[in-house]
Parts: sequence; structure tokens; C-alpha cells
Amino acid sequence: MSLLRLDHVGRRYDMGDIQVHALRDVSMAVEPGELVAIVGPSGSGKTTMMSIIGCLDRPTSGRYELDGKDVGSLGDGELARIRNRTIGFVFQSYNLLPSTSAIDNVATPLLYQGVGRRERLARAGAELERLGLGHRLTHEPTELSGGEQQRVALARALVTKPALLLADEPTGNLPVHQGLEVLKLFQSLNADGHTVLLITHNPEVAESAQRQIHVLDGQIVDQGIAA
Amino acid sequence: MSPLELIRLALSRLRRGRVRAALTMLGVVIGVASVVGLVSVGTGTTARITQQLSSLGTNLLTITPTGFSNGDTTLTLDDAKAIAEVPGLAGVAPEIQTQETVAASATNTTTTSVVGTSAAYAKVRAYDVWQGTFLTDVAVDRSLRVAVLGATTASNLGLGAEAVGTQIKIGGIPFTIAGILQPKGGAGFANPDDEVLIPVGAVQKYFVGGNGARSVGVSVADDADMTSVRNQISELLRVRHGIGASDTDDFSIFDQTQLLQAASTITGTLTLLLGGIASIALLVGGIGIMNIMLVSVRERTREIGIRMALGARRRDIQSQFLIEALTLSVIGGFVGVLFGLLISAGIGKLAGWGFIFDPGTIVVATVFSLAVGIVFGVWPARQAARLDPVVALRFE
Repeated sequence: MSLLRLDHVGRRYDMGDIQVHALRDVSMAVEPGELVAIVGPSGSGKTTMMSIIGCLDRPTSGRYELDGKDVGSLGDGELARIRNRTIGFVFQSYNLLPSTSAIDNVATPLLYQGVGRRERLARAGAELERLGLGHRLTHEPTELSGGEQQRVALARALVTKPALLLADEPTGNLPVHQGLEVLKLFQSLNADGHTVLLITHNPEVAESAQRQIHVLDGQIVDQGIAA
Repeated sequence: MSPLELIRLALSRLRRGRVRAALTMLGVVIGVASVVGLVSVGTGTTARITQQLSSLGTNLLTITPTGFSNGDTTLTLDDAKAIAEVPGLAGVAPEIQTQETVAASATNTTTTSVVGTSAAYAKVRAYDVWQGTFLTDVAVDRSLRVAVLGATTASNLGLGAEAVGTQIKIGGIPFTIAGILQPKGGAGFANPDDEVLIPVGAVQKYFVGGNGARSVGVSVADDADMTSVRNQISELLRVRHGIGASDTDDFSIFDQTQLLQAASTITGTLTLLLGGIASIALLVGGIGIMNIMLVSVRERTREIGIRMALGARRRDIQSQFLIEALTLSVIGGFVGVLFGLLISAGIGKLAGWGFIFDPGTIVVATVFSLAVGIVFGVWPARQAARLDPVVALRFE
């Protein structure tokens, strides 16, 4: 069974009299263990796709199934629960909580799961340790380099052991060599069995994926071939 | 999320913006401190007035004439004697008053109120003797030339304990000082300590003729009998004065407890008024909290988006901001109560009624500051919770 499946999904924004179709009739699927890139220029609708796949938003038409559940029929609380337990987000601008230490940042998703403080900190510390940031636990985002911040963000995405890792332009703000390191990290996570979805405008980044889905003007123009 | 986690989150947030948090709390601190302080002023005034009124005499009925007949007041010394026969009384003291010059020597004089009365006066009006003795029944019966000085009068004349037994002149007539009274406290127009008491017969004999009394003070033995004694005296006087069933009284009977009740109603209203004015300060403090929370929600829109992406439900976001507002108002309220107690202790010391601690005020102030936090925290918290995660994440 596919991990996620979009069936004729559309997303329409009503702006007064004008209707904007950010997504039109998108159908695709991602199997467990895949490393897939969604590629397209800015304005192509790939960020809208990420919002829907990430359960931050709902489709206005069509059907989106994640882990066997029809997301479109779920309430806000259920969506929050899916974001919390099934999805790990990595953003272009890292999106770490400001003035909050690396370990508290990583522990935050566990806070919303109701995990006790002691266990939260233990698991967050272990995750940061695994990503080579064991010496940076109490540093705040402003005290970390871009690459370090992105690894903290990755640790935060991984700490809940999500079924799907969703990365939006994860290398966009990084110098080339740090970007390559992060991509290698995604590849090794994928090798460990994680399902990874990269969203990027950069063809070179997309090359690191096993399969590329090309988006243009709110529609999929190429699904790629599953490896 | 558990309340404990939310409080921990709120405290770490407030620690990061100490100055802003302190300034926001200041509004609540001032509001709560003024509620606690002003209400204690009200309570202190009430206690002071009640104490002064009861120092005028307990279970006191004062009968005063309301007219004249044959050049005299309608209340006579014979009426006072008749009243003394009513059962249930602890004492009856008629009063005749005149203004006279009192002289300790040729140059040391003062003009004051000279009251002719009976030995029961001390009990009826709640006076204590400081030196010597009060007027005795014998002295009153024989209209002897003896005088008891009020504390203020004695000090005006420069007379101390050694003056007891010496002579003074009242209106030129020599009197022997029998005693000096304890001061009651109180000042101004009707200073209860500035008077000279002499036997009622002596006033009639040397100063004012006639049989009329300024008033008759009656002390009732048991305060449960106040109303029945009052009715009996009223009936007695109506019969004695030949007043018909449809005619109005030519005297009035004044009940001390009525005055006490009236006074406590007034001071109660005063306390409410002061508390009400202070509550306005608290209200303004609450608006300050709401203002800062709204700014905070806007500044932290992106943080809210991140938290939602990480799995925070709307309920979690709302609780987080509400608890932050509550933390501000409750800490502010706590500090305010401390300041309020300091203020009331200070005012109590200055005004002389001491430190009056009313736990009720603390409870009210705490409940108020909690209410302020909830009322003014809910709206910003709802604003935060209603944000669309996609929009919030994109917010710069």
C-alpha cells in the first residue's frame, strides 16, 4: 500500500471575484522507503503541494490519503495529530523556535505528544548526538551556523520517528558544501528506511532523489519512474 | 499539554522579556495595591468611627426636648426623675448646660461648657475618672459646689493631678475640684473632653434658673431591652406632658445604635466607593496585558506557525497564550497584594488605627487579578489559535 496517494487533488483560492487554481487535478503516490523529489520553478504549486501533503492545508477537490486515512475529512485536531506523529518537517529557513535552545527545539514535538520532560530531553539529546551536535545542546539558533541549524531542524523532524520526512528546499539557504552534506544525510536516512520527500526548484538537488516529480503551473508534467 | 508544562513555557518566555513583562505587570501591581490599600483605609475608618461612637456611651438613649413652654424647655428635671422609675435602666443623667468662664487664678481662665448633671453621668456617657472622684450622689442631692474637669479643660488651665481638692472659680463662684476625667479622644466642635461637670442643682442655683433640661441621658442595662425601654419612656412622657393620641411628641428619643448603624452604612458605602475607584486602575492594568499579548501574538506569528507544524493543536496555542497572560496578572496581583499591605500598614500607622489585616481583601484581589488575566488574555489567545498554519509559517 502506498504511504501517500493524491487522487485528482485540486487547491483553489478564492480571492474576492478571482479564483486562483494553485493545484489542478494532481494525482500521484509515494511508496514507503522511497526518496522522491518534487521539482518545479517558483509559483509552480509545489509549496501548495507540500502544505497539503504535510496536512497544513486541505485540498478543495479530490482525495488525499496518508497512511490509509482520508485527510480531507479530518478536523483540525486530527490534522495536528498527524503532523505531530506521522510527518517530520524540514524547512528552507530552518524555522527553529527563536531564543530556544537546540535541545528544547528538538523536544518540542514530543511536548505536544504529552511526553514527560525528562524523557523528552533524553530523546532529543540522543537525536542531536546522532546528528553530531552533542556539543551544541544548549546553544540557541543565533549561536549556530546554517548547517548546524538545519541539522537541529532535521533532528526535530526525526525525533518522533515519523513515517514521512518532508523537506522544503532543505539546502536553499546553505553554502554548496553544507548543502551537499545535508543531501547525503537525507540519502543515508533513506537508506535506513525513511521515506523522504524533497521539494526543490534546484535540478541538481532533485538529482539526488531516486524519482523526480515535475510540477508546472499547478499540474504534474512528469511522474518519473519508480526505482 | 499539562498546566505545569504551560506555566514552565510561560515563565521561560517572560524571563526572556523581563523589562516588558515587568512593565506589563506594573499596571496590575498598581491596580491590586490600590484596591488592597484603599479598602483597608475604608475598613480602618469604619473601625475608628464605630469605636468613637461607642465611646459616647453604650446602650445609650438620649431624650431631648423639641419645644418650649412657659419659658422652659418641654423636658424637665421632674421628667428625669419619673424616667428613673422605668424598669431595666442602668442609670439616668439629666443635663443642664451653660457657658461660663472657668478660672484657676486671676489670669489663668478659659471659657467652656458647664454641665449640671447627676452621679449617673459617668456611666451613661462612658467617662472614666483619672484623678479624684466623680460627682457623688450626696454632692448632687445637696447641690454642693464641687466640679469634675474634662481632660482638655484641665490641661487648658494647666491643672494636673495635684489640683484635685483645690479651688477654681466658675462664673466667679468658687468650686472645689473633685476629680479630673480620662480623655476620650476626639476633637473639634463637640470635644467631649472640654467641659466642666457640676451637680445639676448647683447650675440651677448659681447660673440658670428654671426646671428645663438640655437633655436626659439614659443607659439601658440590657441592649435587648432598648426598644421596649424606649417605648415605655415615650409613653410615660406623653402621659406626663398630656399629649393626645393624635398629637406629636414634644420630645425626641435618640438611639445610639441607630447612629452606629447609619455610620456603618455610610462607611460601608465609602469602602465600596474606594474599592470601585481602585478597580478602575486594575481594569487599566488588564487592558495593558491585553495590549502586550496582542503585540506578542503578532510578533510571534511565525513561532505559532512552527508550533502548529510540529503538532500543536489550536487548543495548545490558545492555552499557551492564555497561561502567559494569567502568569503576568497573577504575579502582578501577588506583588500588588504585598504593596497594598505595606500601604495599608503605613496609612494605619499614620492615621492611628494600626494595621488592619482583612484576609477577605486578599482573596478578592487575587480573584480579581485572575479574572483580569482571563478576561484580557482570552481574546489575544483566540487570535493566536485561529491563525492558519500555512499563512503563519510564511509570515516574516
